[in-house]
Amino acid sequence: MAGHRLTEEASTLADARIDAYLGELAHLLRGPRRRRAQILAELRDGLDHAIADRATHGRAEKEAVESAINQFGTPQAVADAFGDELATAYARHTIAWYIATGPLIGVWWLLLLQPHPWRTGLLALLAAIPVLPLIAIAIAAAAGTFATTGRLIRWLPEASPHRALTAAMAIATLTLIGDVTVIGLYLSSTAVRPLAILAISASLIRIAGSLVTLHHATLMRHRIRPPTPEPADTRWHDARR
Amino acid sequence: MLPMRPELLKGHLDALLLAVLEPGPQHGYAVIEALRTSSDGALDLPTGTVYPALHRMERAGLIASDWQTVNGRRRRTYHLTPSGHAALTEQRAVWDQFSTAVTAILGRRAWPATV
Repeated sequence: MAGHRLTEEASTLADARIDAYLGELAHLLRGPRRRRAQILAELRDGLDHAIADRATHGRAEKEAVESAINQFGTPQAVADAFGDELATAYARHTIAWYIATGPLIGVWWLLLLQPHPWRTGLLALLAAIPVLPLIAIAIAAAAGTFATTGRLIRWLPEASPHRALTAAMAIATLTLIGDVTVIGLYLSSTAVRPLAILAISASLIRIAGSLVTLHHATLMRHRIRPPTPEPADTRWHDARR
Repeated sequence: MLPMRPELLKGHLDALLLAVLEPGPQHGYAVIEALRTSSDGALDLPTGTVYPALHRMERAGLIASDWQTVNGRRRRTYHLTPSGHAALTEQRAVWDQFSTAVTAILGRRAWPATV
């Protein structure tokens, strides 16, 4: 810690106490790894400042550290406070993953199911996709959730973290059903071609990813507060009306 | 001055944070301290209120953050985006209107009863 008057020995003790505090918090935070690391780094910096302030005002080193930690709250309280933001970040992160993998995996299946796409029209190409309704619903859910959890929340009603997680789970379920369906349909109708190994492998990886997503999202949904209706004047978009 | 409960600020917290960041970039703890000192201790908000609110405002595009390394430690500082400046102007107008209306009612003393 720099910028305040702790002695070297006290600074080491303070670092150890802060490490223990943040270590406990790290166990309680649930969400994307990068976001969790950012929160911990930011709180560490905040705690350093809080301790420095207290030391500057003449508090004893140990008292300064404990007082700063008390100001920040118990690890459980801090983890709960970040729960909503991390849940929303997890939902957006997951949906972005599905948006990125969708075309990558879909193109292999399209080439298998319609080997000469350039010879057919767009409608025939779309008709060759057996899980088109599932894809359409998933795209609509993804677009809606992205819009109501991102920059557009200044104009649109913000989706609660609970709803964002529900949307992510719905997309994971639809993708899971879609992947199982295309693998089943392909294996039951034709002999396996080399290209199919790529498509099936990619879908199997995504099935595993979908199962992990469903597990994590279910756990997170139980941890966060259920959505509560807010008065009309508490949102930016409402203030503009 | 008595500290205010965070729930009393519901609906105004974003505007307060935008106002604190208006003069220039600040890190999270400095924002908490600025709120406390500017309000003579009335707005002594917990960490668990301010940091998640800053993250939500960044998601909304009202503020943006930068990471710097200071003395070997990572520091995140927040600053207003053009949308944040516009939102602050708008929120000030909304607050003026709101506070005038509320003061007109709460500030009114009961008339002496007439017989």
